[in-house]
Amino acid sequence: MRPSDCRVRVSPGAPTLKSLTPAGCAGRPRRAVFALVAPALLAACGGPQSALDTAGSDAATLSHLFYVMLAGAVVLWLAMNGLMLWVWRIDPRPMPPRYARRLIFAGGIVFPTVVLAALLSWGLSIMPDQRAPGDGLRVEVTGEQWWFRVHYWPEGATEPVRSANEIVLPVGSRSEITLEADQVIHSFWLPSLAGKTDMIPGRTNRMSMEPTEPGEFRGQCAEFCGDSHAWMAFTAKTMMPEEFDAWLAAETGPAAQPEGALAEAGREAFMAQGCGGCHAIRGTPARGRVGPDLTHLASRLSLAAGALPMTRAALVRWIEDPAAVKPGAKMPAYDHLAPDTIEAMAAYLEGLE
Amino acid sequence: MPTRPVEDLPRHRNLFLMVAAPTIWAVHFVAAYATTAIWCEKVGADTAGLTWLVTGYTVAAEALIAWFGVSMWRQWDYMDDQDYIHDGATDEDRREFLGHAGFMLACLSFVAVIFTTMPVWLIGSCA
Amino acid sequence: MSDATPDDIAHHSRRRDADKYDVRLAKGTYPPTEEMLNAPIDPETAKAQADRLREVWDDPPGWRYWSAVNNSEVGVWYSMTAFGFMLIAGGLALVMRLQLAVPDNDLISAERFNQFFTMHGSAMMFLFAVPMFEAVSILLLPAFLGARDMPFPRLSAYGYWAFLIGGIFVMGSLLFGVGPEGGWFMYPPLTTLDEGVGPDIWLLGLSFIEVASIAAAVELIVGTIKCRPPGMRINLMPLYAWYVLVVGAMILFAFPPLIAGDFLFEMQRSFDWPFFDPERGGDPLLWQHLFWIFGHPEVYIIFLPSIAVAAMVVPAAAQRPMVGYNWIVLSAVGTGFLSFGLWVHHMFTTGLPSISLGFFSAASEAVVIPTGVQLFAFVATLMAGRVKMILPMLWIAGALAIFTAGGLTGVMVALAPFDWQAHDSYFVVAHLHYTLFGGMVFPLIGGIYFFYPFIRKQKMSDRLGRISFWLTFTGFNICFLPMHLTGLLGMPRRVYTYPAGVGWDTLNMISTLGSFVVAAGILVFAWDLVRPKGKLMEERNPWNAGSLMWAHDIPDQFWGVRSIPYVTSRNPLWDQPGIVERMDAGGYYLPDAQEGLRETIITSAIDARPQLVARVTGPAWVTVWAAVFTGGAFIFPTFHWYPPAVVCAVLAVGCVCYWLWTSTALIPEAPEKDVGLGLTLPTYVSGPSAPGWWGVFITMLGDMTAFASLVFGMFFYWTADADFPPPLAEHASGAWVLASALLFTAGWAATRAARKLNRLERIGQARAALGGGAALGISGAAALIASVMGLDPTSHVYPAMLWALAVWTAVHTLGGVIMQLYCLAGSIWGKVLPHYDAPVWNTCLYWHFLLITALVSALLVGVVPGVL
Repeated sequence: MRPSDCRVRVSPGAPTLKSLTPAGCAGRPRRAVFALVAPALLAACGGPQSALDTAGSDAATLSHLFYVMLAGAVVLWLAMNGLMLWVWRIDPRPMPPRYARRLIFAGGIVFPTVVLAALLSWGLSIMPDQRAPGDGLRVEVTGEQWWFRVHYWPEGATEPVRSANEIVLPVGSRSEITLEADQVIHSFWLPSLAGKTDMIPGRTNRMSMEPTEPGEFRGQCAEFCGDSHAWMAFTAKTMMPEEFDAWLAAETGPAAQPEGALAEAGREAFMAQGCGGCHAIRGTPARGRVGPDLTHLASRLSLAAGALPMTRAALVRWIEDPAAVKPGAKMPAYDHLAPDTIEAMAAYLEGLE
Repeated sequence: MPTRPVEDLPRHRNLFLMVAAPTIWAVHFVAAYATTAIWCEKVGADTAGLTWLVTGYTVAAEALIAWFGVSMWRQWDYMDDQDYIHDGATDEDRREFLGHAGFMLACLSFVAVIFTTMPVWLIGSCA
Repeated sequence: MSDATPDDIAHHSRRRDADKYDVRLAKGTYPPTEEMLNAPIDPETAKAQADRLREVWDDPPGWRYWSAVNNSEVGVWYSMTAFGFMLIAGGLALVMRLQLAVPDNDLISAERFNQFFTMHGSAMMFLFAVPMFEAVSILLLPAFLGARDMPFPRLSAYGYWAFLIGGIFVMGSLLFGVGPEGGWFMYPPLTTLDEGVGPDIWLLGLSFIEVASIAAAVELIVGTIKCRPPGMRINLMPLYAWYVLVVGAMILFAFPPLIAGDFLFEMQRSFDWPFFDPERGGDPLLWQHLFWIFGHPEVYIIFLPSIAVAAMVVPAAAQRPMVGYNWIVLSAVGTGFLSFGLWVHHMFTTGLPSISLGFFSAASEAVVIPTGVQLFAFVATLMAGRVKMILPMLWIAGALAIFTAGGLTGVMVALAPFDWQAHDSYFVVAHLHYTLFGGMVFPLIGGIYFFYPFIRKQKMSDRLGRISFWLTFTGFNICFLPMHLTGLLGMPRRVYTYPAGVGWDTLNMISTLGSFVVAAGILVFAWDLVRPKGKLMEERNPWNAGSLMWAHDIPDQFWGVRSIPYVTSRNPLWDQPGIVERMDAGGYYLPDAQEGLRETIITSAIDARPQLVARVTGPAWVTVWAAVFTGGAFIFPTFHWYPPAVVCAVLAVGCVCYWLWTSTALIPEAPEKDVGLGLTLPTYVSGPSAPGWWGVFITMLGDMTAFASLVFGMFFYWTADADFPPPLAEHASGAWVLASALLFTAGWAATRAARKLNRLERIGQARAALGGGAALGISGAAALIASVMGLDPTSHVYPAMLWALAVWTAVHTLGGVIMQLYCLAGSIWGKVLPHYDAPVWNTCLYWHFLLITALVSALLVGVVPGVL
């Protein structure tokens, strides 16, 4: 492991993310079977990116589906292998072939046909809900190498609110997610809220999510997309509706002015180095659309698409040499700049709440 | 063993008739898939017509499979001697073996076609 | 007609269209009478026969050993090479597990990790699992069928050398750090944008191996349906042969779509034809469809042969015939079919309409039924028998335990909505390793313990086998069981590292530890496999199994069987007393090789009535050269060195022609020969009774599948894109298209006429028809190319698709023309006579398929765009 102050890629903003304590796990055991098979898992199924530790109705349905299937699978596995063990080790006396043939018919045909038909009906019937149309906010997410461009389209908006690498959604309503990709295929996956959907160049895919409780989560690109596929993640926050409205209003506004001499110097360096050619910071001359929008960078939980925590040290590290953090990153290295300059730029960016 | 003579016809030694039923499943499957793809892309979101169309395919496919199943059941000729092992070196064993396997494949295909139709009944949306 | 009384076989073989095929029929008595089967054999004669046979079938001495084509040699090389690739691919996995043992690790770079996981998957699939099936089947199938060899031994050898060259090329790229790194699925646009040679190495190297696989599939299918011993009707075939038949057919329909996909892909990489570029009307999803139409049946192509091995071990362990033979046939055939309706379950997250996903969910659940039948039939057999605790059965039992777990998680991921969570996460990594380890590796190793006494005439160690089993079994579960949870905690696949604190650290560490335990188990097995084992066995049939294989000779004789038995049971060694002794004594068919030629008996497809004595090919270097040049033709384009590639292609075709000319369809010294037991069989047939005709027919079925995939591509663009063809696009020239269709039809008619004229001994006219047919074919292809000449294939996917169809047809025309010229040359130099005309029949058959290709292409190029 490489020793370095900000190499420690803890889950971005780890202290604020849902902790890994078992208490958060699924939260709502539903069935007796669940209580029987799950205790071992209960201790371990939490986490900011867990499909079993859910905070959205879609993910909750799927986790429920999983636990039921798991219970069935365990029973069937034990039955099948128990039978094997029985005829092989415990009581190997030959039985009449008639019984054996009945076993094939009952176990191989009748039972699976019935069980699978039931399971299939259940599975198919939950699909329309999972893809139900949204009823308010639309979020347009574009997969880039290796980050997420995020545009919020509140109802009736003509211009999107531009952001990147973080998804913020209101609790209690179903948000529509539109998915596109720039160069290569990616996949948008926020396990705690819903399943994944691919982002494919030339196509527009859609999905929807209905958060049911506020929290902070981590999502990640799930389709192999090149060198830094491992570092193409994002953070997500779900908020109560009024809190969300306030957040959206703030996000719509221009960037904060630099505070203090250092940040002021950083702003000048940022503009002088031509960073604005790729990045936009609303309220400044920086209007680039190639890289992520930085207007409210510091309000996000992580830096560089989930690769680094949002700290000044991490910003310095990133500006110096992005490819050292994310192999193949498209942003050029600025390690030719004086350390002071980089420090100043980091201070400026750190103030963009 | 044989209770009444059955003439051994060319169709009794035809491997392709044995797999006719799963072939119908495959054709039905492709037809349902292609129809859905075209419908959702070119016709639009209202899937009522699609449901009827695919159900129509299913009725036709199941009728054909049932027909093959019955003919395979006859070829199996289970009722004459209740034999289902067919491991002898005779025309009769070979004929009934192919009938038996063909009959079971028809049953499997029948179930598989129903499975394939379930999505249009249960989902009914191009989303 | 009853089989109880022997009768004149000619009566049976005569068919309605006998005159049409000019057939030389079998004569004499069949089936053999009890009296014949009990007739004493003169030991002196038998010894002389055995000596002649031995001389004919022996391996070449010294370094010329490597020119051998016997299935017993090629099968061993093939399986050992595949096993070697498996060890390398497993090594890659260990390095990846080390990299993932702790978060934020930098043991290897992202780039190297990506190359490793790409090659781990690709090698395990293309260089281990599928070739291993072919290798083991080439090695074992003739023995199960009591045949001397495969029907086309040189084709097996060619396939092996092609596999070796392609495998070394693809694997070797890793050493130079230029290995493919786009995943074993090579999704564009990531891979079409890649500027390195990685994707080309993957595409061309593996296409080459796919060709070898199809060759093996053709051979195995023909072997199963035409090379069974007399009397082994289809209801008596060993279950292994049933699986080979099903899997061969699956390869035939599964691999060609990938080859078509590779063709489109390489056209984009080399010439910028935008098949997968959305900017110019292309669609990356087409590749996914073509890849997974191959990719999912592939899983069953891997799984079924291993279950076939289990189906041979289980009855030996239970010491009774398989319960539910018919059920297993049902399940093998049913699985074969249903497995083609699953491919989109690898694409559940691509945003296709829910109903479409639903169809594939449904088929994915339905396929569980035949798979379950298979497993229950094994359990039922164990129930009905008195189980012997043999070591191979331990591996099979482990396989069932692991595979059922993989199957049950398979039921979960087959459900589209659940897959939206599980897809591309470590849950799927766990699932697929449970199915492939349980469905392939465990039965394979069990099978090797079971069959080793047949292959090497020695036994492997029971003790090492047990140690290896328990290491592998526990290590496997330690490694892969936690991955289910890792995946559900959100860890995606194919990440070269991961941050701490998301909850994946401990689970990954456990998996890494487990992976090394698995490796230890596999190494113990590998040591047991290769270590010197001393003396040969005393007994032939150590497991007291019932299949013909265990009538083998100790020490090994290369003749396969001393004489080809008459079979009346599924388990001849159990049910036909004295069969082994009589086989040994040369008391059945073909006990001799008077003419000094390698021969085997060809029988009818369903009832296995003897039809022909086939002269099979012997040792040769030309097969090696053919493979080397074919390799060149595939490998040079990787580096865009086209001239040497073309030279290699020409030389490869030359080698194949030379090999066919010098060793196939040779005019026999006599039209028929006595094969023993009162039976006389023809030595040369043309048309549908000849194995060569079947070879062409089956190959062309595969070829048609590839062509159908291109046609599917055309319609796919139409459904996926509202602007296909683009409203203002230029179209192909109608006049040229029409001319092409007419020329091809005329070329086909000329070829057909040549066959008839040759039969009627109007030799001059036949030669004119062959030459004219070739000229017409060339003109037809030229006209088709001319029709698209004005279109720029780089501008949009529509002209590119038309070009692809034209090029595809033109290349196939070249094949047809070479065949016509081969026949013409044969007619001139005495290889084709009016009544020895197998090459003409095969050429005609090829042209039937070529005509379909040409007319459909003409329709798609000239007519369909106007209608769409």
